[in-house]
Amino acid sequence: MLKLFKEIRKAGNATVQYPFAPLETSPGTRGKPEHDEMHCIACGACAVACPPDAISMQTDLAAGTTTWGINYGRCIFCGRCEEACPVEAIKLSQEFELAVMSKADLEETCAYELARCAACGKYFAPRKEVDYAKRLLAHAGGPEAAEASDSADICLECKRKADAQHAARHYEAEKKGGVR
Amino acid sequence: MSNTDKPLRAGESHVQAVRATFPGSVKDVSWQASDQVTITVETDMLPDVVEFLYWKRGGWLPNMVGNDERAINGHYALYYLLSMEEQDTCFCTVRALVDPDTCEFPSVTPRVPACVWSEREVRDLFGLRPVGIPDERRLVLPDDWPDELYPLRKDSMDYRRRPEPSTDVENYRFLYEGEAEEVTEMPMGPMHITSDEPGHFRLFVEGETIVDADYRLFYVHRGMEKVAETRLNYDAVTFLADRICGICGCAHSVAYAEAVERAQGIEVPLRAQYIRALVLEVERLHSHLLNLGLVCHYCGFDTGFQHFFRVREKAMDMAELLTGARKTYGLNLIGGVRRDILAEQKGETVRLVRELRNDVEALVDMLLSTQNFESRTKGVGILDPKIARAFSPVGPCVRGSGFTRDVRFDHPFDGYAHLSGFAARSHDGCDVQSRTLVRIEEFMDSLAMIEALLDDAPTGPILTEDWTYEPHKFAIGYTEAPRGEDVHWAMTGDNQKCYRWRAKAATYSNWPILRYMFRGNTVSDAAVIVGSMDPCYSCTDRVTVVDVNTRKSKVLTKTQLEDYAYNRTHSPLKD
Repeated sequence: MLKLFKEIRKAGNATVQYPFAPLETSPGTRGKPEHDEMHCIACGACAVACPPDAISMQTDLAAGTTTWGINYGRCIFCGRCEEACPVEAIKLSQEFELAVMSKADLEETCAYELARCAACGKYFAPRKEVDYAKRLLAHAGGPEAAEASDSADICLECKRKADAQHAARHYEAEKKGGVR
Repeated sequence: MSNTDKPLRAGESHVQAVRATFPGSVKDVSWQASDQVTITVETDMLPDVVEFLYWKRGGWLPNMVGNDERAINGHYALYYLLSMEEQDTCFCTVRALVDPDTCEFPSVTPRVPACVWSEREVRDLFGLRPVGIPDERRLVLPDDWPDELYPLRKDSMDYRRRPEPSTDVENYRFLYEGEAEEVTEMPMGPMHITSDEPGHFRLFVEGETIVDADYRLFYVHRGMEKVAETRLNYDAVTFLADRICGICGCAHSVAYAEAVERAQGIEVPLRAQYIRALVLEVERLHSHLLNLGLVCHYCGFDTGFQHFFRVREKAMDMAELLTGARKTYGLNLIGGVRRDILAEQKGETVRLVRELRNDVEALVDMLLSTQNFESRTKGVGILDPKIARAFSPVGPCVRGSGFTRDVRFDHPFDGYAHLSGFAARSHDGCDVQSRTLVRIEEFMDSLAMIEALLDDAPTGPILTEDWTYEPHKFAIGYTEAPRGEDVHWAMTGDNQKCYRWRAKAATYSNWPILRYMFRGNTVSDAAVIVGSMDPCYSCTDRVTVVDVNTRKSKVLTKTQLEDYAYNRTHSPLKD
């Protein structure tokens, strides 16, 4: 019994002031993911990586937009989005107090413009993603990068068509010239 | 063919013994990992082979896995996982195919009681009937689930849908196995839906003495295995496994990751192995403190409870420091871990370990010198070693009955393989006190292990991506969670999905022995006994009492039962 009283005395007051004072967290605590809409290129890598499907991409061809969205109610704060993002546009913060009065407030969205294919005119990719690819290619330099940059504005289907036509022309030329 | 000069592979002696004892029964033998062998046997011989390996070769049975392999080989398959612990230690799996037309196989339960829950479960989820099983009740599926719908069959149902309830009546029968005729039936539960493990207990009592008990669980079966097979990619399942348990999630996550890694032959970097072992020990710290607190609580020593929980915060801080969260560490990926331990965190962890050691030593001293601790726990909830051997329980439960079963030492994995100077703890009082003492000693060992792992961890990468994914390969992953071994079995499939994932939580192996631990104790000890098994008991919040003699029933509240457990006067049964 005496040991118990000694322990109680030694322990003192164990309670903290929270929520009336902020709660200290470790520097690496995984909290609410913060989306940087300026840096985001709407590539959707985070949506693919997200285990609970908290992050989603919705494409609207009529409006010509793709909408990035997150539902914090589904988020498990694992940080896979942060690892997957090529441009560091999403990062976990330390914030853990996410309670809201209305469920709708747990969702955030951000719409991005789609780019049209230079050949067929159909929407095919987020404009910012295309621009990002071009910037990377320009940075890489060299003739191959320049060639790839030229076809960056073209959708996959048109690229395939162009490749097939190119191969057919080459084949015809070879046949005429008799080159093996 | 002579290979006398070649040393035998792990498990090969068991294969030879099976071949010699049951000639012609073995159809195929394959190794999944250096210490994992699977023997495919004739289905008729299944009970004989499992019985032989279990009783004659020192096997324990963590789990049996059913699998719908009709798309692969036209049959269902059963995998009886056996942990061979006496000689030639390894995991020896006995596999048998089940004909998809008859859907029947000979039950192993009459020979090896440890199979009972797995065989009942495979009947519920796959519709495979164990012929000769003594207990044909449902285990996992609710009473109102349609009869012919088997959710884990690949062609059965979409995981997003639920069938219409087929009945409005609860028709589960609780079985009484005792001999006394005049008994009172006392239901406890089903409980609070906000807690994670509601269960319904039915105590059969004679006066104040429990003569038998039966129970039903799985009220909140979450269908995680189905979700993992259908919605998630195999590499995201570690995060789902993290959420199997609110206490020992990391143990599940590691077990799943290692099942896939072994199946795919992935070599996990050494540093990652150390970090995994270290975080598993951090998880044990807070879990054992929680249980020590609960033991105080159920003995009516709530001051002790508060103090164990006060100190437990330091273990939670340590987890937050190392993984970024108090719980659901999100640490594992297939191929390694996601977060390294830096010098600064190492120093802080060592500081916390020292503080915890001092704090807990003082608290344990206080607990053990408290008079009613001994009187409430000694000789209470006896787990007979014979019962333990028959049912393969795990963790402090089995170690409190004299068995030194602990996968950290029986099948050393991860950082544990490199530790020296540690051994499985055991006590042979077979009672609540022994189980509590095992936990206290393990807690102190965990602190020493954390220090050793921090000191010895080599530098280097923590994640490898150097492998090629191969479908339809399977293996076992295992960890020693605070409550005992978590054994996972995973088979990869096409399109980056798990073909089958079977997660066995530690307590799954312990529930079947609870009725034996109850017998002969008083109603006021029921909470202490369940608590000593360390399930999530917080959900048990009310009790119904049925007097079989007078056919009267009565509902007790959680408070009434708990008050009685503290004070042991004013029995709520009388009045």
